Parts: sequence; C-alpha cells; structure tokens
Amino acid sequence: MTLRSLFVKWGGIASIGIRRTLSRATRTSRQRVLFSILGVAVAITLLVVVTGIGIGLATGTTVYDDDIDYWITPEQGGDRSPMIATDGPRFGSVHDGATQIEQTDGVDATTPVLSDVLRIEADGEDEYVLVVGVINNPGIDDVAGVNGSQLTPGDPYYDAGTYDGDWTGEVVLSEGAANLLEVSVDDSVSVAGNESFAVTETAETSGDSIGNVPTAVVQLSELQTLTGADTDDQADQFVVKTDSPAVQDDLEAIYPQSEVLSRGEMTASETVDADLPLALSGTAFIVAISIGTLFVVTTTGLEIVADRRQLATMSAIGISSRSQIQLVGVQTIVTTVLGGIIGGLSGLASIWLVNTIAVRVLTTEPIAFAHPLFIVYGVVVALIIGVLSLPALLFIARRITGGVPT
Amino acid sequence: MTVQPSPASSTGESTDTTPMIVGRNLQKEYKRGSEPGRIGRLLGRSDPPAVRALDEVSISVANGEIVGLAGPSGSGKSTLLHILAGLELPTEGTVTFQETALNSLSRRERTRHRLEHVGVIFQHFHLLKSLSARANVALPLVELGVSKSERRQRATALLERVGLEDRITHRPGELSGGEQQRVAIARALVTDPKLVVADEPTGELDSETGKRVLNEFRRVAEDRAVILASHDRPTLRIADRVVRLQDGTISDQETEFESTSIHTQGE
Repeated sequence: MTLRSLFVKWGGIASIGIRRTLSRATRTSRQRVLFSILGVAVAITLLVVVTGIGIGLATGTTVYDDDIDYWITPEQGGDRSPMIATDGPRFGSVHDGATQIEQTDGVDATTPVLSDVLRIEADGEDEYVLVVGVINNPGIDDVAGVNGSQLTPGDPYYDAGTYDGDWTGEVVLSEGAANLLEVSVDDSVSVAGNESFAVTETAETSGDSIGNVPTAVVQLSELQTLTGADTDDQADQFVVKTDSPAVQDDLEAIYPQSEVLSRGEMTASETVDADLPLALSGTAFIVAISIGTLFVVTTTGLEIVADRRQLATMSAIGISSRSQIQLVGVQTIVTTVLGGIIGGLSGLASIWLVNTIAVRVLTTEPIAFAHPLFIVYGVVVALIIGVLSLPALLFIARRITGGVPT
Repeated sequence: MTVQPSPASSTGESTDTTPMIVGRNLQKEYKRGSEPGRIGRLLGRSDPPAVRALDEVSISVANGEIVGLAGPSGSGKSTLLHILAGLELPTEGTVTFQETALNSLSRRERTRHRLEHVGVIFQHFHLLKSLSARANVALPLVELGVSKSERRQRATALLERVGLEDRITHRPGELSGGEQQRVAIARALVTDPKLVVADEPTGELDSETGKRVLNEFRRVAEDRAVILASHDRPTLRIADRVVRLQDGTISDQETEFESTSIHTQGE
C-alpha cells in the first residue's frame, strides 16, 4: 500500500469514526453515547468552575469589571477591612495623601477612611456603632455599605492643615443603626459624647456591608477629632475609585509601606492562603482527568463490548483489527472532545451561576474568573482524558474484534 | 466424501472448470464450554467435550459456479461456509483458494484475503446501523485505501445495480429487509471478489423479496464462484449443484436441482 493510499485509508477511517459517533449520539445509540459525552462534560464542567474560582482567588477579580476599586492599606499583617481595622497601623497626612492620589492619572475619586466603634446615643437609646469617617467626593458612593453622598463634600472642618473649618455634625446612619437607635432624619444624636450631631440620612446598606453591623458615616476630620486621630491627620486606609487597573503601581508609590488591594482581594482573598488557588486548580485538574478517564474507559468499554457484533461484521468483510482499533480510537476522541466542548460551555455557565450566588450571599463581587479560553482548556483536558483512555479501550477492542457475527 | 465441480454451469454459460476454492478433508470441532486453564487443570478440571461440526468434508467450487449447501439446522452448512470464506480455520484439513492455502495465513492475512477475494453475505445482513447505505457499501474500499470520490462512485453504481438508487443516503433502520439484503449484496461485491459466500440470504425475506434477491445472485455469479447455504428449496434452485450435509458430512449432491426453475420464477 502506498503512502497516499495509507493516508486515504486513515482519512476514511477518521471520517467513518466521526460520522458513526455523531450518528450514534443522535440516532442509533443515543443513550449510551450521550451518557459517555455527559460524563466527560460533567468532569470538565467541574474542572472549569474550580479552575475559574482558583484563578479568581489568585488574581483578584476586581479587574473582572470595568468599575474598579482599590484599597490602600498600611503594609502589615493586620486587618484590612474598613469594618474592623481599628487598631492597626495608620496612614498619616491623609488629606494631603488624598489630594496626591486624586492627581494620579486614571483615578476618578478617593477618600481616606477612618473607622472606629463608638457609642451613639439618641433619646435614651444608646448603641455601639461602627463609625466611619470619609471625605465625601463625587464618585465615592458607598463606604462600608453606607452611602455617604449626603455629607457636605470636601470635609469642611479640615481647613488647610488645621481643624478650624466649619463643623457640620452630619451623620448618615445605616438603616440598622437607625432602627436600633430609633431615630430618623434630622434627629440629634450624640457620637462618643459629642452632642452636636444630627442625622442627615438613614440609608439602606448595600452589598458592601458585612452582615447587619450598625454603621454610621461622618466627616473624616470630625471623627478624627472625636477619636484623637487628628494628630498627624490619621486614617486607616484609602479607597480609590478608578476605571483603570494600570494605576495600581502608581498608588503603591504614594505610601511606600502600603499594600494596594483590589476589592476582590479585600474580600475573598484575604481569607485564603495564597497557595490555595493553585492547589485548588491543580487538584481539580487531576481529579477531572482521573474521574473523566475512569468514566470514559467504563462507558466506552461497555459500548465496545455491546458493539462487538458490528466489529465482528467488520472483520468478516475484511476490515483489519488495526483499522477497527483506529476507528475505536477516533470514536473515543470524538466523544471526549464533544464532552470537552459541552463541559467548557457549561463550565462558563456554571461560573456565572457561582458568581451570581457568591455576590448575593458571600462577597461583594464575582469570585470566579471566566474566559472563553476555558472552552479550549476543557477541550484540551478532554483530549488528554481521551488519550489516557485509549490504551485500555484499544486493549478491549483488540480482545473483542474478530470472530463471526451471529 | 469428495464433491467435484460440475462440468458446466446450469445456465449453459461457459464455466472455467479450474477450481476457485478447494476444501480437502475438512474437520471442525468446537469445545462445548470453556477451557479449564492452567489453574483449572491443576485443580483437576478436564477439557470440555468436543462437538464435531464437520467430518472429512471435501468440496471444490469453480469460477462461475453457484453451489448450494443444503441440510437441516446443525448439519454444518454455516461452518463449512465460514471455513471456505476464511472466517474460521478447520481443525483438520486444508482450504486452498487459487493455490493459496488459507491454513498457512495469519489472522491478519486471512482478513486481508477476505477483503480482496471474498464477499460475505449474512442472513441478518449485519450492516453498520449508523452508516448510510452508500457508506456501508463503500466500507471495504476504505480499508483498501481507495479515494473518496472513487468509493462514492463505485458504491453508488452498485446500489443502482441492485435497484437502490433512491435509498443511497438511507440508514439500515430506514430500509426494508429486502433492501438491506441488497445493500449487503452490494457491499459483498464492491471489491469485485472472486468468491461470494452467502449464509441463508433469503432467510429473513418474504418470498417476493427473496426472488428479487436471488435474481441478484444469478447476476452476481457471472465470473465468480458463489456458495450459498440455505435450507430453503426455492433459494437452492439457483444453484448449479447442491451439496447436502447431514451431521457434518456430505450426504448427497444434486447437479440438476431444478436449476432452470429460478429463471421462470424470477423473470
């Protein structure tokens, strides 16, 4: 047989294998073939979802969206969340720092954030509330889940390095805090013993809040005065609003001993070890390949056994065992690749589902990373599954072929 | 008992009397049950009893001749057919196809021999369910490395010849029993084999369809040897001679087995 004939023969076998698989999947052996494809698809779906979560956790998913926020926190192992960062190291000269950050290209808005748990009293009711001090700048909407846009912009009590400006006494209370204190708009409250505050607004908490922690947002300089943080103009961190992920390096340069974290890193990744995402993805890869291979060997092996009459027919009409084995190989690869494509697509759909659920109940933004290349990844892994399954399947086919069809 | 080819075909056409295939002293035994294996033997298990399906059968078939194998179920018709086709090897005896001893061929070589020289037709058709009629017919040509265009052309021509030009793209499940058998005949002829063997070719067909299929066999027999096994008398009428088997041995042969009647029936 010439080389050309050999290639023609291989092409013919591949063509028959593809047509046979598609025809069996849609017509003659629908259940069996679809079961094999579905098994691979499930393994690939799980792989894609876990890999998406792993990559999401490893890279931070703030870049996932165009609307990017960064948090700049003092560099140390302390708490990072504005909700609870009350005792860690703080930044100094934060009003000047905020001005500098605002001048950075790509930054839309920024505010220093100071937080402390303080006692708030109103008409005999008193509660400990998380009080957050911010500078209300256009573009900064929610801080700690409470919208502070009703505060007078620009933190007027801070005046050119002194605390001699206009005291506003404005407090925006979260709905939870307002309910606890039984106050509404314009009611007077006492914050840490200072009775000059009045409720500007009660706001529904957004997804940025944690649980039902009662929260109050006030002017930064006024909270600094209440808590003694006016010495050296301190704040716990900065929140930065930007649409450009490229500003991260510039932000890191403003305070040398700081960490610039995306919102995703502020939420999900702070709870996990840095090596976990890699381990997660690696384990998913190994598990998907192991389970997928075992599944394909089992289901396709059973199918080959069930197909032995047709294989015997092929032997009887002169189709060699080698060609039959090649045919089984092509059918196995086609089956797994179909499973890979379906698994990749359903993996992306599952990532969307996971992110939707996560955003609603767990984090402030998607935890899993999604990319169309995951479909290619799924197909490649499915191909690996197919190739790893081949030796066992070819052995079964080798044992089955021949004989006389009955 | 030895059966020789008849001097001329019953159709009166010239027949090459050189044997196309010769089986000599053929014996075939099957084991009833599985072999005990090494451990089984150590444990004292004996070999399973053997059943003799063929016993000292000799037969030769010439080019252009149609030979019918007749006999009741279990008489050894199918076994003899399989051995002559190279699907099975005899326990004893030799099969020679145009000076090639099939016993000396490896399994792979026998498969190749069937591909190039033998067309096999089964009672249950045994078409590949997931392929179209044309793809089924063209399948042996894939193994021969024939180009796609030539495969399609030859398969289409054969399907047209058996009257299935409007069923080319249909799958076996979409064809009647007679149509499936005609596809099987086309598949058996696509490599232009010198020997065609058919096991109960009309066994699953009604009488009218059976007649059409048998007419195809008559056309097939031109320039090749045909052996067909059947216990159906009308089917055997197309044979130039009929070899009767009984309990694995040849009991009789008829050279003028109402041989002309098939033409009356078929035409």
